[in-house]
Amino acid sequence: MPDNNNHNSTEKRTATDGGVAGQPGQAHRDTDYLNAEVNLLKPSTLFMRDHLRVVWTGFAIWFVIVFGPVTLTRFAPGLMTSQVPGIGFPLHYFLVAFAAPTGALILSFWYARKRDALDRKYGIEHTTAEETGRGGETAVTDGGERTEGGDDE
Amino acid sequence: MIGAASVVLQSGLLPEGLNVSFKIAPAILVLGMLLLFLAIGFVFRVADTEDMWVAGRSIGNVENGMAIGANWMSAASYLGMAALIALSGFYGLAFVVGWTTGYFILLIFMAAQLRRFGKYTAPDFVGDRFNSDAARAIAAITTFLIGFVYSIGQARGMGLVGLYIFGDIGLPGLTGYQSMVVFMMAITVGYLTISGMLGATKNMAVQYVILISAFILGLYVVGFTQGYSTLLPQLEYGTLISQLGAEFSEPFTSGSYYLWIATCFSLIVGTCGLPHVLVRFYTVESERTARWSTVWGLFFICLLYWSAPAFAAFGTDLFSENIGAVYGDPGMSSAAGDVIVVLAAQLAELPQWFVGLVAAGGIAAAIATVAGLFIAGSSAISHDIYTNIVNPDATQRQQVLVGRLSIVLLGLLTTLAALNPAAPIAALVSYAFSLAGSVLFPMFFLGMWWENTNREGALAGMLTGLTIWTIPMINEVLPTYVGAEGPFVPVLAQWVPAIGSALIAVPIVFAVTIVVSMMTDEPDLETKQIVRQCHSPEPMTRQQTAEDVVTDGGQTPSDD
Repeated sequence: MPDNNNHNSTEKRTATDGGVAGQPGQAHRDTDYLNAEVNLLKPSTLFMRDHLRVVWTGFAIWFVIVFGPVTLTRFAPGLMTSQVPGIGFPLHYFLVAFAAPTGALILSFWYARKRDALDRKYGIEHTTAEETGRGGETAVTDGGERTEGGDDE
Repeated sequence: MIGAASVVLQSGLLPEGLNVSFKIAPAILVLGMLLLFLAIGFVFRVADTEDMWVAGRSIGNVENGMAIGANWMSAASYLGMAALIALSGFYGLAFVVGWTTGYFILLIFMAAQLRRFGKYTAPDFVGDRFNSDAARAIAAITTFLIGFVYSIGQARGMGLVGLYIFGDIGLPGLTGYQSMVVFMMAITVGYLTISGMLGATKNMAVQYVILISAFILGLYVVGFTQGYSTLLPQLEYGTLISQLGAEFSEPFTSGSYYLWIATCFSLIVGTCGLPHVLVRFYTVESERTARWSTVWGLFFICLLYWSAPAFAAFGTDLFSENIGAVYGDPGMSSAAGDVIVVLAAQLAELPQWFVGLVAAGGIAAAIATVAGLFIAGSSAISHDIYTNIVNPDATQRQQVLVGRLSIVLLGLLTTLAALNPAAPIAALVSYAFSLAGSVLFPMFFLGMWWENTNREGALAGMLTGLTIWTIPMINEVLPTYVGAEGPFVPVLAQWVPAIGSALIAVPIVFAVTIVVSMMTDEPDLETKQIVRQCHSPEPMTRQQTAEDVVTDGGQTPSDD
């Protein structure tokens, strides 16, 4: 529970998420991000592990969308240049000119949604972004209050 | 010589088929648009540096998305891409893919983290992250160079399109094209020195609306009146492709598979390293806005990029019907290609004012991008070199003055280089992408995602990147200025093409940076903590930077 860590910030934090965050929210509150290493290949916090799972999934799909069609065209030109029935495009042309940008757009939307969902899961509120639209609780939001591990020592 | 450079040979700079003469309605349209930009710039004129560089960090989701779009969609998107697709066929699509999909990488790896880092300029990041003025200076010089190289393409675009509207204004000693370059650049520089970034950001949203509506309206009207398309020209041009000749769609006729990948890769990493793109994430109010404005930005960009191939297809067909064969000898010149969007509207016999509208959109695109580039370039000089290195006690007045002087300098250099440009718009622009991808992208990526990247690693990496970028530039681009035939070393041009040199450069720069960082001391704890703060999901306030949080231990930022 909160009292086992030496941050002085737990009271303020519990107030912001209203207790809905549950386990990940608790983990987030217990994490001292300033003392957790940043390494793309070795995520050190629960949050970053979750985040990087989304990032790498998106990246893998992106890679296929971007370089897949042109590579297939290189190795199976006959198949790839055949006409798509209905819209008249050669398949390779359609996949590159239309599907790739569209795919990246959909992926981006997907990622931004996922990332917002992660924030919710960890009980993080971006109050600065929509100060006016929310209720009175935003008055205490100013992130500067949150003590980050700087005063641990 | 292979690839785009061979496809689009330089053959004079008067586009054949384009009706070059002074036209009153389009001229009023363009001048009105420029006056509007100046007025907006004037209303939002700035005197202090916070506003000049990051617009007071006040920009929201959709507005920033539009600014990303306008800033991004230069003459290279508006004019150059359709030109490459028309002239180089399937190879041209490497640009469509590279210039859109790169935003996803930017989004997942960099946008929010950059916002959290929260400084003013791209070199700021490099200088502060690696605690080195030398690194800052290299990044600033790179930024300046990018602005310069990139803007040459824009100036070329403005010059060519301006010819349709204003005709040959005939400045003494210059050709019609050159006079127009001088005229348009003078206007751009004038408005920029007055307004700075806040004005530029406000302008960019307006410019986006103008350019996208001109482009899409142009496409719909051309498609509809010529019987090519009805509701969705972006998909309907598919049925036209088989009539356009094998060169239009056949894979790898004008660029090998390797060149395609190299170009596409360079454009993607270039997207993630371009200072004028990165700085857009400093201007937003929160990291969440940074993310969503990237999604919006990509959507706004896609609107044009879905349409450009369709415009190219219509233009190619109209050109071959009205003027002559597009491919083969002589074929369509690169100058005609670069105005194919305007040409298509003109050949479709649309009213003059309407063609003028399409042309004006091209000018808006070029001006918006030059604005972003010049701001990035001039803040590199005034903020990163002058204020941080040369004169730390500079007053705001002095900083703004140096900023304005460097805008003028950039304008002069660009104008001179654009009088006799070495390549078509999109190719010129892609040189800048290779540079950004080779030098800045690895620093941002590693600096952000591997906290042990240190000063020595960054310096070694950036110098390696600059070197690898310079070699093909000397090999391929210099010959066109000194009148030599083809590249000095053809084999080098084949494997390290100037247009896609980042494919080779990026892995090498990564390796050099990592190895050197591992062999030397780790960065100090504070630097590491700043990096960690950039990745922490903990919200920050609008004016806070990661450095503030680390140095003041999270005390309230109210002291400023």
